Amino acid sequence: MRSERYIPYVLILPSVLFLLLLFAWPLVEALLLSVRGSGGGWTLENFQRMAADLYFRDALKYTLLLTVVIVPLQVVMALGMALLLGSISKGRDLFLYVWTIPLGISDLAAGIVWLAIFTERGYLNSFLQGIGVIQQPQLWLSYETPMMIFVAVVAAEVWRATAIVFVILVAGLQLIPKEYSEAAEVFGATPWQRFRKVTLPLLMPSLQVALILRTILALEVFAVVVVLGGRNLPVLAGEAYFWYNTYQNPGVAAAYAVIILGISVVATLLYLRLLRSRQDGVA
Amino acid sequence: MAGIRVESIEKTFGKFKALSGVSLEVRDQEFVVLLGPSGCGKTTLLRIIAGLEYAERGRVWIGDRDVTQLPPRARKIAMVFQNYAVFPHLTVFENIAFGLRMQKVSAEKLGAGVERAATLMHIENLLERYPAQLSGGQRQRVAVARALAVEPEVLLMDEPLSNLDALLRLEMRAELKRLLIESRTTTLYVTHDQVEAMSLADRIAVMNTGYLVQFDEPMKVYQEPANTFVGGFIGSPPMNFLRLPVEGRQARIQSLALDLPTGVSSQEVLLGVRPEDLEAHTQQQPQSFPAEVLVVEPLGPHLLLTLSFGKQHIKATVPPDFDVRAGQTLWLRPQPDRLRWLDPSNGQAIPMR
Repeated sequence: MRSERYIPYVLILPSVLFLLLLFAWPLVEALLLSVRGSGGGWTLENFQRMAADLYFRDALKYTLLLTVVIVPLQVVMALGMALLLGSISKGRDLFLYVWTIPLGISDLAAGIVWLAIFTERGYLNSFLQGIGVIQQPQLWLSYETPMMIFVAVVAAEVWRATAIVFVILVAGLQLIPKEYSEAAEVFGATPWQRFRKVTLPLLMPSLQVALILRTILALEVFAVVVVLGGRNLPVLAGEAYFWYNTYQNPGVAAAYAVIILGISVVATLLYLRLLRSRQDGVA
Repeated sequence: MAGIRVESIEKTFGKFKALSGVSLEVRDQEFVVLLGPSGCGKTTLLRIIAGLEYAERGRVWIGDRDVTQLPPRARKIAMVFQNYAVFPHLTVFENIAFGLRMQKVSAEKLGAGVERAATLMHIENLLERYPAQLSGGQRQRVAVARALAVEPEVLLMDEPLSNLDALLRLEMRAELKRLLIESRTTTLYVTHDQVEAMSLADRIAVMNTGYLVQFDEPMKVYQEPANTFVGGFIGSPPMNFLRLPVEGRQARIQSLALDLPTGVSSQEVLLGVRPEDLEAHTQQQPQSFPAEVLVVEPLGPHLLLTLSFGKQHIKATVPPDFDVRAGQTLWLRPQPDRLRWLDPSNGQAIPMR
């Protein structure tokens, strides 16, 4: 029977090797790349070049702005949708599936869908012309209208990626026994109090997971932005791409990647600290 | 303080009729136990009174208020749930304080109320803990303390002891009884455990398949069951039911003739008799009938005998020092004032005159 103890380790070994090979190793390589000069010695040259670049401040600003706008919007919407779904009995599955359709669409495709709406001869202009609000097609997504590009990206991201938050929260809500809500109801809590005092605190672990996941993905936002705005709305992941491809400079591209990683780590630690659920906090 | 009154409650879940017109009145300060097998509708009735389910027909009163349409929070009730439903994210103090906080009472009243309830349940030293740090019995105490803290008009309990182990259940049962006698809160208590029902209740409401079958004091329910279901469900071992031929105004057990309370038109009648109400003798006695011993089970306080009488089986209990072996013939003398006569066609008790 002794040999059976090794079986679990043998079974997880392939996935561990896979992750080490394709995630951990490239990660270390990227870190090394970012702090190595062209001569081979240690240097902060790449970070200095990145920081001095014209696009860097805008890329940092827009990435953080997009995250700060998109993530809360998605969490609030997903929470509302998940709670609504909880009070539906008939046709619940239909709503669940319709709301999770965007999960199956790649971010590039999502960007193209929204481009088809906002482009010069797109659906939005046709519609506005059709009802007579505008005479000429409007140019929504040009370098002169970064606000409009920003709004379009927010719309596309909310449309595309709210479903993942929704799925996590639905699963989390299902884990909460209904007796807690019933007990609160019997002891005098209004629906709002039940949500604030019972459902929300018990949902904290799921909210934490959803926030961490969505924030990390939002900091990496790329395809949707490139499709809708090109470089008119610079973001960190986009800059990494341009430095690697267009400027053929992997060192600075790696520096951007490290910046994204650093912000992700800080955000994750913040969530873990701020949203610590109280019952394990003292255990 | 208030009584509870429900009138012709009907409830269906899909095609399943959970309650078929149940009416029940719990007097002010009374402790009533709803007793029945699983699926009999007892928990559904409790949840309808709590407002957690709504009945299709019928009305619910608490005191003189018609609460049929009110949400639970407006009913001035408290409830103890089967799995406690103690909030895991709140300390014991905050759990007990929950109802009072919802009522927005002053800080002093809140502190005093929590302390009083915690002291009653002997958990005043656990107030800072979280439920995850408590044993099942302690969580149970928190659940009861939370209910007592709001000083409800009516206390509803849904199988509160069923998740505890046997020894703890016995201890909590006695404690609950002491507590509720002290606090004099009108209580409706659901259980499937007939011993729990007998021990706690002022009155027992026996339910079966969505109907209220009998509603009376524990000893009445035990000694004078309304039908064969009640006699069989309450008591361990259950009541014996012997099918006997009728001759005029008498029922006959072999040589023994027993007077029937009223004239019976049918050919046969059911005699209900508790195992402890059959006096066993090794010699023939007047007013007795013979039966052959099949099995002897020593149970500690007494011996449980299974005897055969014609083709029917009968259970009897005898003192532990009674000398008896399988195969032996015993003479059983039924206690004449403990007999229950029932109609074999529908199992209902035949009214005395």
